[in-house]
Amino acid sequence: MTISRGDALRAIAQHRDQRIVVSTMQVLRPWHALSPSELNLSCIGFMGGASTLGLGVALAQPERRVVILDGDGSLLMQLGSIATIAGAAPANFCHILFQNGVYETSGSQPIASAEAIDFAQMAKGAGYKAAYSFDDVGRFREEVAGILDEDGPVFVVLKIDQRDEMADWDAPSPSPLAETRTVRKSLTGDK
Amino acid sequence: MPLPAESVPAQTLLDALRRCGVKFIVSVPDTHQKSLLALLDTVHDIRVITCCTEDEAVCVAMGLWIGGAPVAMMIQHAGLYACVNHLRGVGLDLKAPLFMLIGLLGRDVNKAPRDNTGSMVRLAEPLLDTLGIKHYLVDGPEDVRLIEPAYREALNREAPVAVLIGAQTA
Repeated sequence: MTISRGDALRAIAQHRDQRIVVSTMQVLRPWHALSPSELNLSCIGFMGGASTLGLGVALAQPERRVVILDGDGSLLMQLGSIATIAGAAPANFCHILFQNGVYETSGSQPIASAEAIDFAQMAKGAGYKAAYSFDDVGRFREEVAGILDEDGPVFVVLKIDQRDEMADWDAPSPSPLAETRTVRKSLTGDK
Repeated sequence: MPLPAESVPAQTLLDALRRCGVKFIVSVPDTHQKSLLALLDTVHDIRVITCCTEDEAVCVAMGLWIGGAPVAMMIQHAGLYACVNHLRGVGLDLKAPLFMLIGLLGRDVNKAPRDNTGSMVRLAEPLLDTLGIKHYLVDGPEDVRLIEPAYREALNREAPVAVLIGAQTA
């Protein structure tokens, strides 16, 4: 069983509130369309950097909650980041991984160890406070609000379809540079 | 500063970071600056975030800046080479004021970095030049005065600025 990327994003967006969200790769454009906000950040052009970009924001703004929408190929690019995040132990940090087992943008080549890899176990082993895995959207909808409110760092694996209705989402690409200034201004009042 | 380069006491460098107002150090441990890292472990007004890679350090530093926290990076020249794409994508494209202390481990202190035989030291300044990243060389205690203006320059230009630590810190 797998979850549609769109269903997962809609469930997260429903409970987003004032959370800062860092997204990357194939969830980036649909997320911006579903949850436009002055608190969206994008990781484009430095693959694997979404979670550590969010870590910095979480450390600087401990009263705000930060959510990462990551990809499995992206996380593997910077797998050590789960140890860095666990070591820094931000309580306001929720790391959601969209796992479809492929490098979708480059033609859906399988990621390394696609059949066996267990990201939730790795996150827990690295020192995340909790790790969850979902392949059923009903269960995810029931639990997502509570998970987003948990003290972190928390890790969530969503086993998603390799292709779904959002893969070809026709939404404009955001400006990552402009977003950094907008979020900074929202958080600090500075430009 | 005439050669040979001299070691700078860790306390002198810490004082300079405090004058900048730095509250976070994002580091991939650097043998060349180990006395400063050891000193930082004993203070409570600056938090050290240890990263596994310099790519991560670039992103954490950018996130801290977005969130309004004053930050400096401490890495080694090998790490500079390792994180070129993130320096490009975050430092240049996102105009990140990344302030970096970079240790020139293994440098022959009797020669300018560019004249060193080993590629690790010799290519650091040319690489920064290629990326268009301003850099300054701290070759002794007198050069510590360069640090605070370099930090302000990064913030004002919204661009990465590097301070190369020429001799192992004392």
